[in-house]
Amino acid sequence: MIGFDGGQLKVLLVEDNEHFRRLIRTVLQALGITDVREEADGGAGLAALAAYPADLVIVDYRMTPMDGLEFTRRLRREPGRANPYVPVLMVTGYTEPKLVAQARDAGVNEFLAKPISAKMLLSRIVQVLQTPRAFVSASDYFGPDRRRRQTPIAHPERRRCDEA
Amino acid sequence: MSSEQPEFIQPPDTLKDKVDVTAGGVDLDALEKAEALIAGLQGDYLSWVEGDLEKLQEFYKAAEAAEPADRREKLRDVFSVAHDVKGQGGSFNYHLMTTIGNQLCRFIEKLPEQVSRGQMEVVKVHIDALRLVIAQRLEGDGGRAGSNLVRGLDAVINKVKPAEEG
Repeated sequence: MIGFDGGQLKVLLVEDNEHFRRLIRTVLQALGITDVREEADGGAGLAALAAYPADLVIVDYRMTPMDGLEFTRRLRREPGRANPYVPVLMVTGYTEPKLVAQARDAGVNEFLAKPISAKMLLSRIVQVLQTPRAFVSASDYFGPDRRRRQTPIAHPERRRCDEA
Repeated sequence: MSSEQPEFIQPPDTLKDKVDVTAGGVDLDALEKAEALIAGLQGDYLSWVEGDLEKLQEFYKAAEAAEPADRREKLRDVFSVAHDVKGQGGSFNYHLMTTIGNQLCRFIEKLPEQVSRGQMEVVKVHIDALRLVIAQRLEGDGGRAGSNLVRGLDAVINKVKPAEEG
């Protein structure tokens, strides 16, 4: 039997729709994840993280006053955040490439498109847990390495600077 | 947390100690339990989606009563609820709610500043269609009734483009 035991996991769920929160919480409970803290917007989510050592954050994209993008940016980059490395799984009804790029740039680890199924949610959680990504710290970005695969460069010599 | 040269950091991996996930990663028992629990929520879904449908009606009426130049702003409320409806239906085997909710959102997104009567009518028939899906419990793809409904909505949208002159 393939095993998944999430009994020790702490999950912060930041989502403004109470029905959707209930749906996700129900799936998490079925996976043995019972330590779930819920907040209704990004600001409350950030405040919660100060005292709640989440192992995983599930965040909605569209919320007011602080949406999931701003939440993730601030979680990753603001000095003094308790755990800027915590994996962030963004759940969203928007799947346009532009939003996906914005979310990656904010530091989101994985996406899940609404409507969700138990299978999709579990597979994303397992993906986050089984394949932890290195973080990149640069002047304009702090977050998981955005390159999904290390692909060999066909002609590396083209990338070399010409020496004068 | 920034430096002039990008720096790679290996975050502390505390999750491996907390979660037992073996290769392949999916516990079929847990998955079946989760699917069953979602199915068990279907009754609650039907109750809360009624609330969403009422809000759609209410926000539509407010937009309808507004001047053409103010309608698009008012329809943002319709968009917001329709977006929630779209995001939830499929999880409870009401895929038509997702399909129609999505179509309504895409239509509202493309509306011009002046929203015409014809365009308002398109919004209305989508809301009516969402109500019909729930009233008739059209689960899954809704079978023949579902296909007819979606085809009818496509025809209405093709007749009244979202970007027509108001």
